[in-house]
Amino acid sequence: MTARGTPSRFLQSVLHNGVGRYVCQLKRISLVFSKKGQGSLGVRDFIEEGVVDFAKNNPGTVIYISPQSCRIPKIVAEYLNGNVKEEMVTNKTSQQIAELITKMSDQSGLDIIRIRKPFHTDSPSIQGQWHPFTNRPPSIEPVGQQKK
Amino acid sequence: MSSFSRSAQQWATFARSWFLIDGRMQPPGKIASMCSVRLQGKHKPIYHPLSDIGDHVVVMNTRHIAFSGNKWEQKVYSSHTGYPGSFKQLTAAQMHKKDPTVIIKLAVYGMLPKNLTRRTMMQRLHLFPDDVLPEDILKNLTEELPQPREIPRKLSEYTQEERDTFPMLWTPPEDYRMK
Repeated sequence: MTARGTPSRFLQSVLHNGVGRYVCQLKRISLVFSKKGQGSLGVRDFIEEGVVDFAKNNPGTVIYISPQSCRIPKIVAEYLNGNVKEEMVTNKTSQQIAELITKMSDQSGLDIIRIRKPFHTDSPSIQGQWHPFTNRPPSIEPVGQQKK
Repeated sequence: MSSFSRSAQQWATFARSWFLIDGRMQPPGKIASMCSVRLQGKHKPIYHPLSDIGDHVVVMNTRHIAFSGNKWEQKVYSSHTGYPGSFKQLTAAQMHKKDPTVIIKLAVYGMLPKNLTRRTMMQRLHLFPDDVLPEDILKNLTEELPQPREIPRKLSEYTQEERDTFPMLWTPPEDYRMK
């Protein structure tokens, strides 16, 4: 598929987030892991070491710890705009999971698709678009007066 | 920001203007170059070769154009239809007598780009031999363009006062005999 056929959007942020104050767009994050599974070892380490610190540093984010008998541990992140993102964390270390969660809390939750241009403005022109009468002195008399 | 709605803004930007040029005592080449720029739309900041944004140009008084030099006699318009014996050559004066608009028309036609849009642009050129314009064209006109050449005045058009105050190179002596 060519670049023109792929989904794309303009460069934007959610409601000018960060212009005045910054609101963390990550609403809810759940750590789904197994109590016994070998693949969930890193998640269990992270819960012991880092999850309380993360929760204290991010008071706007709710964290759920849900131990289930599952083979594949995962992190489910929900954003304020309703987007839900799942990440598999099988066999990842505690360090890697901490980095992943930090990355998710920094993201805005907008779809990660091709951005058409690396710049965007909502008001492309201040003086207004050109039309044939811009910069032309106004005249009242009709053009091409005919002799009576 | 503009006070237009977006669709009205689009119509306003791409609206066609109608220009009026007075050809009295003007060189046909200068008139034609003004016409060709406006017929192509090259005077607009939104110009693009693929968008059809040429304006209409009305030229009046084409009967009273002024060639410089000896062009009325020496400039030759040649044509050949392809049939044997059909090679025709007419001087500018003969052409002008046949049709008083054809000199401007050919000059503009030669200055337009040689592609498929040339005939369309020529249809937006309206030539009138005199200063009498039909009512429907008068209603459309938006701007009269300034003439490219300042019309020189004849001696008869100067008042006696202006003739007296005209700076003299030398004062003739009392006994100077005028030829």
